Amino acid sequence: MPEPRWGFLIVLYLFLGGLSAGLFFVSALATYLQRGTEPAYPRLARVGALLAPWPVVAGSALLVFDLGHWYRFYKLFVTFEWRSPMSIGAWLLAAFTGITVLSFWSWLSAETLAALVRRLPRRLRFLRVVDRPWREALRRPLAMAGFPLAVGVGIYTGVLLGAVQARPFWNTNLVAQMFLFSALSTGCALLILALSLRRAGLEAGEARLLFSLDIVLIVLELFVVLPYLIHGALSPLAVREAIGLVMGGPFTFSFWVLFFTLGLLLPLALELWEMRPVLLARQALHPGRAVAALSAVLVLFGGLVLRYVFVFAGQVSAFQ
Amino acid sequence: MRERLGLTREARWALALDARKCIDCKACVVACKAENDVPLHKFRNRINEERGGSYPRLRASFEPEQCHHCASPSCVRVCPTGASYQRDDGLVLVHADDCIGCGYCIIACPYDARFFNPKTRVVDKCTMCVHRVDAGREPACVETCPSRVRLFGDLNDGDGALRRALDARRAQVKKEQTGNDPQLYYLV
Amino acid sequence: MLAGAAAAAAAAAVAPQLGCAPLARRRRAATPAEVRRVATACELCPNKCAVLAVVENGQVKKLDPNPASPKSRGMLCARGNAAIKALYDPDRVKQPLIRAGARGEGQWRAVSWDEALDFTAERLQRLRQDHGPEAVLFSSTEGFQEEFFKNFGLAFGSPNILRHPTLCLASVNLAYSMTFGTVPSFDLLNAHYVIMSGANRFESIITPDTMDLIEGTMNRKAKLIYLDPRFTVTAAKADEWYAIRPGTDLAFILAMLHVIIKEQRYDREFVATRCLGLEELAAHVEHYTPAWAEVETEVPAADITRIAREFADAAPRAVYYAGRRSSWYVNDFQMRRGQAILNAIVGNWDRQGGVVPNSRIALGELLFLPWDDPAAPRVDEIDTRFPLAAKGDGAFLQARENVLAGVPYPVKGWMVYKQDPMNALPDRAKTQRLLEAMDFVAVIDTQMSDTAWFADVVLPESMYLERTDPLHMLPGIWPVVVLRQQVVPPLHDTRPNLEIIQGLAQRLGLGEYFEYTIEEWVAEQAAELPLDEPLAHMKQHGVFTPEGAPFYGRTLAPGFRFLTRSGKIELYSQRLAEAGHDPLPVYAPPRPVGEGSFRMVLGRKATHTHASTTNNVWLLEQTPTNDLWLHPEPAARLGIGDGDLVEVASAVGAVRLPARVTPEIRPDCVFMLHGFGKKSKHLRQAHGNGACDADVLVTAWDEVSGNAAFHETVVTVRKVGKEERRA
Repeated sequence: MPEPRWGFLIVLYLFLGGLSAGLFFVSALATYLQRGTEPAYPRLARVGALLAPWPVVAGSALLVFDLGHWYRFYKLFVTFEWRSPMSIGAWLLAAFTGITVLSFWSWLSAETLAALVRRLPRRLRFLRVVDRPWREALRRPLAMAGFPLAVGVGIYTGVLLGAVQARPFWNTNLVAQMFLFSALSTGCALLILALSLRRAGLEAGEARLLFSLDIVLIVLELFVVLPYLIHGALSPLAVREAIGLVMGGPFTFSFWVLFFTLGLLLPLALELWEMRPVLLARQALHPGRAVAALSAVLVLFGGLVLRYVFVFAGQVSAFQ
Repeated sequence: MRERLGLTREARWALALDARKCIDCKACVVACKAENDVPLHKFRNRINEERGGSYPRLRASFEPEQCHHCASPSCVRVCPTGASYQRDDGLVLVHADDCIGCGYCIIACPYDARFFNPKTRVVDKCTMCVHRVDAGREPACVETCPSRVRLFGDLNDGDGALRRALDARRAQVKKEQTGNDPQLYYLV
Repeated sequence: MLAGAAAAAAAAAVAPQLGCAPLARRRRAATPAEVRRVATACELCPNKCAVLAVVENGQVKKLDPNPASPKSRGMLCARGNAAIKALYDPDRVKQPLIRAGARGEGQWRAVSWDEALDFTAERLQRLRQDHGPEAVLFSSTEGFQEEFFKNFGLAFGSPNILRHPTLCLASVNLAYSMTFGTVPSFDLLNAHYVIMSGANRFESIITPDTMDLIEGTMNRKAKLIYLDPRFTVTAAKADEWYAIRPGTDLAFILAMLHVIIKEQRYDREFVATRCLGLEELAAHVEHYTPAWAEVETEVPAADITRIAREFADAAPRAVYYAGRRSSWYVNDFQMRRGQAILNAIVGNWDRQGGVVPNSRIALGELLFLPWDDPAAPRVDEIDTRFPLAAKGDGAFLQARENVLAGVPYPVKGWMVYKQDPMNALPDRAKTQRLLEAMDFVAVIDTQMSDTAWFADVVLPESMYLERTDPLHMLPGIWPVVVLRQQVVPPLHDTRPNLEIIQGLAQRLGLGEYFEYTIEEWVAEQAAELPLDEPLAHMKQHGVFTPEGAPFYGRTLAPGFRFLTRSGKIELYSQRLAEAGHDPLPVYAPPRPVGEGSFRMVLGRKATHTHASTTNNVWLLEQTPTNDLWLHPEPAARLGIGDGDLVEVASAVGAVRLPARVTPEIRPDCVFMLHGFGKKSKHLRQAHGNGACDADVLVTAWDEVSGNAAFHETVVTVRKVGKEERRA
């Protein structure tokens, strides 16, 4: 391939799509977790839902502007090509975005909505009708509906690449799983970051949930990344050559240092360190704001680098 | 000829290439640019080159390549709008008006036969000069070649020159393992 | 077969596709374009391939090969296809220009044709009055309208008509003329065994030889033996490639003659009845053994012996191919003579697969008023210096020397047609001095060549697609008459050469010699063709070729007299002896290159024609610039890496360009592609792009024919910069 057709906009789009999926996933999970009949993590559910639409909307905008003719994006929605991961993904993404927006609306407080409406020009004030008393009742059904879509979007960003036979670096199902776990992990991380930046800081219960979840996701990601490499090294020549791009090739530094070490191992270590009172003894967690934020930033950074490496190395890889 | 014989059989266009005869003169590359108004520094076909040996025992070989008009084209499969399509006669084409320029097919082609056309801002590729083929003529690259490297014809025509060449000589296709079932036959 | 497919294909287009069809498919019906197809003949190189120009709404959209020509064998090369970009090149000279600043400064005044022609005629008239008509040099290269230019020079009264052969193939033409009395063609379509010395036929396309050779070697399993210091595409395709020591081909040939004569493998009957001087030849080659030749050529003696045997055994379907740009060494004529003699004794003359005298087709001639022979002798003193050479073509390098020295008389003016001496001659600085020494220089060309850049007036000629040229008969085994006719009207304020010449002739009182139109000229030529409506045929088809070609063996009829002094094929040439040359080719080793120096060899590539296409964007895409081929061994010694900027210096000049470190050249040679490093800033793609070989090539010529000897240049190479750019 003379020059990579997909560039940083696509990297960013894959990252942002996954991020939203992760945010929504955690938010939906938190919506359902309860202690007795009380929601266990109301703040998590709410912040997650309020954050979830933004990355995917921004990412979709990037995707549209990456097209040769941006205004032709509607053509994605006048057809359904069931064999095209991108067509499936476009519909999936649209449905997911719709759900996240509805969910966002259902989680907005009445005061915030009223404040927002007040800022609108007079002619648009009629929009106050969106403040419906039954909004709150939609939260659970939306979480339910959004779960599979979030997981789908997380997987789809990987399937988009993994379904291309022509690029041996991509052409394995492990990419889909890797991208899914990474997506959910970045969602966790952004929540950790958002909450730890608040004045109140991370609350112990939330921290415990988010760290636990993220540790599990990072470990799962490790269990996909390592088999991906091992399987690749044991595959036919074209795949071995493709894997060579990160094993002593042009993407080795990005993959091993930036993604694997800084983006996976280090945040894993930091989060385990934070969790040590829980893990080693039955003690209360006292989350440190700085360490939490740092680990979250590293996870986000790692997620971005992972997509950078895959988008670019994949386009270079080819059968001989 | 088929009409005269009363046959209704569909054509299946393909190319056989005798790359040994290629002298790397680039006539096919330039003819394609003229015929199809391909922008500067973009190409619908190319000549791959392999060099090796050690002085004074050296070798160099040349091999023209373009869209393989695969029987199972991955580019068509991944297209999200249906702009990339395949005709029943095997030609893999693009409805430029329906192409959104997402570039997915460019990446999905194992032969790097597609490119983004900066002038039309949609994907571009070899059409096997479909406008000429439909008018009963050969593609420009076939016609202009000084050493007659390419043989264009109908695989379904049992007595046709293409079928005869492929019956008489062994041929290879490139990157068969991608499963695209390519239809550029390199005579060996 | 194809026609029947159209209906089927149309059906396919509306067939449903997998997946849901998009709701809105806007299919704009294209407005029906007015499409014309005009038969004409290409002018991007000297092959004159038949072309069908496709014109859509007045624009030339495509140039298709015209299958009717047996010479171009239904093909059109990269350059032919790229002619569209030459026609629509924004850098064309769009109207007559008169120099406004100093020579070479690039200050021009755009003027009307009247003013340009008045100015040119007035300057020519002044030169004729002050110094006589011989004070104006008329130089041109081959082309369909060259004749008008040449006639203008003669009508003007100047003996100094200089044509291209002494920069090209004068030595090979003379060698074959001295041996067979004619310059033949080589039947590569039918030969079984071909030996080539440096004639890089797969990169330097000659029709139909290139196509016939690839067909022969690949489909008929003909054997190709190729000698070249450089691993070219031809070397890659050859059965055997020998990186022969440059300048020693004659040793290889003499050793082959030695083996063939010693082993009595020559065609005894043919030699006995048709050749003259076998005994002298046998005695002459006695000491030229393969063992001796191995030392000279570095080709193993066993291979020379084997090749000689195979060659003789394959005869008459065996040829030692002559090549075309035969301007290599100071003994070039003798080397070509050796090839001719080798061909002669194996009896391949006028036989299928052998060396075949050209067939011709008679054309009509328009009669016009004759002029007086020029009073003055030629400035190049060709009669005394090269008595055997073709006088009408002149000796270009000798002419340059003499004019610069002012002997035998002063030459003050120079008219150039379609030629770029700044690039075509060795030692560009010297050519520039020649231009600067002139009182007046006028250039007729389709583009602002380096020579035009230093002219006083540039008279822009219309491009080949914009004008009609005289019919031309291309002699060969498959002779053909081609018409180059106008496809579109001139885009700019340019004129065909004939009209430029007529404009000048009228102003100089020579109008009566040119009182005809191109249409009249072509009609008169066509009238002789054996066709019912010859002119209509030529306009429609662009090509005429006789039924029944090729014709072999016409010169083998009993009593046939060859156009040599003896009437026989002259292995031994008394005429050469009388002219003071070796009557049989005597080997002279090339001048040694010297430690740490390199011989610069020249060559071609299929994507460019000489120095005339390096502003063509479609060809530059393929070959964007030139670089210096250098073997890894000397490169390591000189600390030069691939892509490093190097300086190449000879006795006359130095140029800089990136190195291409490659094993595809002998360690004692370097090579750079011709035509780059233009001085003309008008050519925005070519100006300053790469290096100009003419800057370093030294002046030397073959002593018999006067043909430039381009391979006599010795250069040094040194690194001047790190990897800068890569071709």
